[in-house]
Amino acid sequence: MRSVLVSGADSPTGERLVRTLLGDSRVDRVLAVVRGKVERSPLMASDRLRIVGVDLASARRAHELLFGPARDMAIDVVVHLGHLTPPGEEGERAHAQSVESVRSIIELSERHPTIRRLVLRSDAAVYQVQRDLPVLIGEDHPLNMAGTAPQYVRDRVEADVTACVRMGLSPLQIVVLRMAEILGPGTGSQLFDYLGSPVCLRPAGYDPMLNLLTQDDAVAALQRAIHSEAQGVFNIPGADTLPLTACIASWGRLSIPVPGVWMTPLYRWRRLVTGHDFRYGMNRRRFHYSGVLDGTRARQVLGYVSAHPVDWPSPVWDREPR
Amino acid sequence: MAFPPALARALARMGLPEAERERLAALHYHDAGHGYDLFGMHPDFVAFGEALVSPLYQRYFRVRSCGAHHIPSVGPAVLAANHSGNLPIDGMMIWADVLRQTDPPRVARPIADHFVPSLPWVGTLFARTGMVGGSRGNARALLESGNLLLIFPEGVPGITKGWSKRYQLQHFRVGHAELAIRHRAPIVPVAVIGAEEQYPELFSSKRLGALFGIERVNVPATPIPLPVRYHIHYGPPIRVDEELRPSDADDPAVVAGVAARVQEAVAALITAGLAARKGVFL
Repeated sequence: MRSVLVSGADSPTGERLVRTLLGDSRVDRVLAVVRGKVERSPLMASDRLRIVGVDLASARRAHELLFGPARDMAIDVVVHLGHLTPPGEEGERAHAQSVESVRSIIELSERHPTIRRLVLRSDAAVYQVQRDLPVLIGEDHPLNMAGTAPQYVRDRVEADVTACVRMGLSPLQIVVLRMAEILGPGTGSQLFDYLGSPVCLRPAGYDPMLNLLTQDDAVAALQRAIHSEAQGVFNIPGADTLPLTACIASWGRLSIPVPGVWMTPLYRWRRLVTGHDFRYGMNRRRFHYSGVLDGTRARQVLGYVSAHPVDWPSPVWDREPR
Repeated sequence: MAFPPALARALARMGLPEAERERLAALHYHDAGHGYDLFGMHPDFVAFGEALVSPLYQRYFRVRSCGAHHIPSVGPAVLAANHSGNLPIDGMMIWADVLRQTDPPRVARPIADHFVPSLPWVGTLFARTGMVGGSRGNARALLESGNLLLIFPEGVPGITKGWSKRYQLQHFRVGHAELAIRHRAPIVPVAVIGAEEQYPELFSSKRLGALFGIERVNVPATPIPLPVRYHIHYGPPIRVDEELRPSDADDPAVVAGVAARVQEAVAALITAGLAARKGVFL
C-alpha cells in the first residue's frame, strides 16, 4: 500500500490523479497539496484524502508540509506537479516555484523518515529540437540548454536536471517523467492556446510531426510510476502523432501558411489584443522540425503504453478510406 | 507541401495506373496513429511521389534496373549507393526503382544531409515520401523497426564532386557500416550509372554552397539535366548480419573494413555497369 503526496493537486492533471488514486486499492491515503485556498479545490476531503494549501515556492512551507502532515500520514511517495508554472509567468517568483521547489523537496525528502520515492513531472519542452537531431527523441536526447531559451524552458530544464543529478546518489528513488504536451485547458499547453483561434497561422513550407498526450494517459503514467520500483528518466508520449496541419484541421481550425518572419510579430500582436498566451518564439523550432518522444523505455520498464487518443473535434484527414 | 493526404491520393490517381495504385495498397509501414509514421511518411504521399517521379523514371531517364532481387523483401537492410549529379535525382530514381521492383512494395528511406529537412516545402514533401534527416538516432530507429535505408556513404562530397571526377568514388564514410553491423542489417551495394553525366558543370561556387551549409555547389552548364539513361545495379548483399555480431560495431577496424568492402562492391558494380552500357543516352 502506498501513501501518496500529490503537489499541484489543483491543476487538471493533479486533480485527476488524486481522484484516480482514491479509486486505486493499492493506495492507502492521499495528501493533496494545492497552491491556492483549500476551499476552492473541487476535491472533497475524506478519511483517505487530506487537502492542504501550501506555497511550495517557499522552502520553509515545504519543510512544514513534509515534516508536518506528510510525516503524520506516513507518506512514502511524493508526486511533484506543483512546480509547473504557466509559460507566461516569469521572474524570481516563477523560478522559485519551478526550480527551487524541486530542489527543496528533494533535499527534504532525502532526510524524511517515511518518504522513499519521488515522481517529478517534467516535459518535452526540455529537449532540443533542431534539424540535425533525431526526430525520435530518446531520453538521452540533448536538452535545450540555450541561454537564449525563454525562462519557462530554462526553468524546466533546471528542475529536470536538478532531479536527475540526484539519481543514484540519493537514498530516494527518483523518477522523472518527461511528458509530451497535454492538449487541454489549464495545462500550460502552448498548442492548446495556439488552437484557440479560428485561424491558425503557421510558417509556410513546414509541417512538422508533433506528439500529443491526454490527461488520461498522463495520469496512467504517473500512476505506474507511483507503483513501480524503477527509477530513472522516462519519456511519456501520447497516442497522437501527426503533422501540425493535421492537428489544426482536426481541431476544426483553418490553417494559413505565412512567411516565418511574420509569425513572431503577428502572434505578439494577438497576445496583446486577445490576451492569448501563445508565444511563437517559444515554439519556433518545433513549428519547423519534427520531434516525437520515444516511449520505448517507459513501455519496457514502467509498462506504460499510451491508450487514450485526443478527442479531436473534427478528425477529418485520418478517417478517409484509401 | 502541407496538403491533406486526400489531395495527394487524388493527384496519385491522376498520375498512376490503377494496377500500380492497387499494388501500393500493400505497402507496409508503421502507422503512428493518424496515417503517418513517426517520421511523417504517409502512403498516399508515397503514391503521389511515385506519380510525380514516374515521368522522369520512365520517359526522361528511362531507368533500367538490374539485380533488384538482391533487395531483402522484409527486415532491416541498408542500400549503399554512389552519389552524383549535383541534384539528388539519383536518390529519387533509386527510391522509385525500389518501390517498383519490390513486391510487396518497400519504401527505401533516404537518409539526407541535415540541411534537407530544413528546406521549406521540399523538406516536407521528402519527409512525406520517406526521407529522414541524417542523424544517427533517425537511422537507428528506422533499422530497429525493420526499414530499408538508402544511404550515400560519400555524402555531399559525392554529389558535388564535379564533372572531372565522375565515376570516381569519394571517400566512403563508415556510419552505414556501423549501423548495419549494430542492427544486423545486410548491406546491398548499389551503383547508379548515368547520373554522373546528367549535369555538366559550368563552375563551382563555395559561396553558393555556404547558403545551404555545404562546401560547394556546382553550377551546371544546362538549365535542366540531360536526358541520360539511368542504369541502377544492385549487388549481392554483404551479410554483416550473419558474419558479425552487433558488438563488432564498436571496433573501428571492423567497421572500416566493412565500409571498404562496400566501397569495393559499389566500385565493381560501377565498372561492370559502365562496361555494359552502350552510351550515355542509350
